[in-house]
Amino acid sequence: MSSGSDVATAPREPLGDKAATQRTAAAMERLKAIVLSERAARWTARLSLILIWQLVGELSDRMPTPVDTFNFIIDEFQRPFEGTEATWWNNQVVQNTYLTVERTVLGMFWVIAIGIPLGYAMGTYWRAQATFTDIIMVGLALPGYIWALLSLMWFGFSVTAPVFTVAVSATPALVVFVMRGTLAIPRELRDMSHAYEVPFLERFRHLVLPSMAGAVIAGVRLAILAGWGLVLVTEWFGLPDGAGQQSRSWYDAANFDGLMGWALIIILIIIVFDRGVIERIDKRAHKWRGNIEGFGTKREGTG
Amino acid sequence: MAVDSQLETQLRETQPEPGPSALGTERQAASRRRQAMFLSIVGAVGLLAAWTIASIATETEFQLLPPPWEVADRMWGFIVGDPERNVEGGTVFVNFWDTFRKTMYGFIGAVVVGIPIGILMGRYRYAKNYFFDFTYLAANVPLIVYSILAVVLFGLGDAGPAVVVGLLVLPDVALNVAAGVEGVDRRLLSMSRVYGQPSGPALRHIVWPTFLPFLFSASRASFAASWKLATLAETFGGTTGVGVQIRKAFQGFSVADMLAWMMFFVIFVVLVERVILIRLERYAFRYRLQRDEDVLRF
Repeated sequence: MSSGSDVATAPREPLGDKAATQRTAAAMERLKAIVLSERAARWTARLSLILIWQLVGELSDRMPTPVDTFNFIIDEFQRPFEGTEATWWNNQVVQNTYLTVERTVLGMFWVIAIGIPLGYAMGTYWRAQATFTDIIMVGLALPGYIWALLSLMWFGFSVTAPVFTVAVSATPALVVFVMRGTLAIPRELRDMSHAYEVPFLERFRHLVLPSMAGAVIAGVRLAILAGWGLVLVTEWFGLPDGAGQQSRSWYDAANFDGLMGWALIIILIIIVFDRGVIERIDKRAHKWRGNIEGFGTKREGTG
Repeated sequence: MAVDSQLETQLRETQPEPGPSALGTERQAASRRRQAMFLSIVGAVGLLAAWTIASIATETEFQLLPPPWEVADRMWGFIVGDPERNVEGGTVFVNFWDTFRKTMYGFIGAVVVGIPIGILMGRYRYAKNYFFDFTYLAANVPLIVYSILAVVLFGLGDAGPAVVVGLLVLPDVALNVAAGVEGVDRRLLSMSRVYGQPSGPALRHIVWPTFLPFLFSASRASFAASWKLATLAETFGGTTGVGVQIRKAFQGFSVADMLAWMMFFVIFVVLVERVILIRLERYAFRYRLQRDEDVLRF
């Protein structure tokens, strides 16, 4: 600002020049700050991801380019799921993803119903922990997709197969998270609430829930991510419909636009859900803590 | 997805706090350890019993759930050979080695590419922001999509599984290396410069020791997940390896074979985790262990 007023008041040429250069320098600085800002860096990254994809698409004879994939998704929106008339509801994308989401939700119901009580018990009673540690360890070591194949053989190609798969393979991780979460309950407060005979529900509401929320949400998030993938694998290998089955049918038809299109839909749904829902719930659950850094605060990646 | 082995570590190290009655003496602690051991055996036996009962209850001619001893018999067959079912001896070792080889290619690739990226991320804020979404994306893409990518890009063969394992491990390596670089003591580096030390030894004695443990923890964290991904990619479009054997078992509708491979899987993962990776990690961390720092628990 000061350089601007200098120009206005000073008649002498050289100073004006100097001010002008100063101004350009300041503008350059600002430009540099904008280009190097966090937001710009992240958008540059997204852009370069699309460019890389485009490049790979051009080079590979099988990999479609982003535009091809995008066109495919639009076509898929216009293909009716049943009948001949496609509407916003009756189309391949919405109907198939709806089925997949429904299966994931049913599976997650069991994961939460088993995982949270078991994890709480293992974190509270050492006998429960001693009994179940090895079993949970084995569960963690097993790849979920073996369960997917097994449950397809056991339950046939019905909705039970994906639900069972999710229930057995996503539960162990949630159990461990919840177990860690129970240790975050301040011991003094727990003892005190016992001494003063605070009723169970009240204790749960005011002590257990707030201290465990972070760990439980992190565990559920991971379980949903795993469950989503496993439902897709189950659909791929044996179900008659759903997002995974759609990718499979395009794969069998050797149509790679279709395969990539569905892969993109799968990724977009989980990311939108993670960013839009889970992250918000997480923020809400941590509101009471304000800016306190402590247990359960998110430590991305570098754990 | 790469948190499985971290979870395993947490599981092993989490101990419920002792109740008021157990505050104390060594004898009590020892009796508790014995009791814990007993209970864990009870848990395992209970699981086997449940399996046997379920298998007897659901017995049909298709053998939907073969009993444990039958699966053990299959496993033995895969190890020493089973002429009745046309299985050669050592099938297990051949297939696990194939999958392990591919996983290792992916790992090495990820380390080679990930270290420079990690150094950039640890050193420059811009690089950190730039790569942020890449690491987020890589951590959130379902494994099935990686496997699809492997098939689309590389067709059938070894390259697909190796490359997607690399893609999965890469963000873990980069993030951990970045954390390591941020942790390097700048004052030590300046001091070595002041005293005119050549940069080679400075790198070896200051940067490398700070950095190596992070690299190990990255590989430990990624191992289980990458191994799972490698087999899944093989099932989709491999020609050799454990994944292919699992696909064969599925196509042949043989639950016993599938369960046998599943058991091998558990044995392999637990073995590698417990025997190899933990030792390597202790070796990498040894200078800190000497200082009695509790570093293995982060």
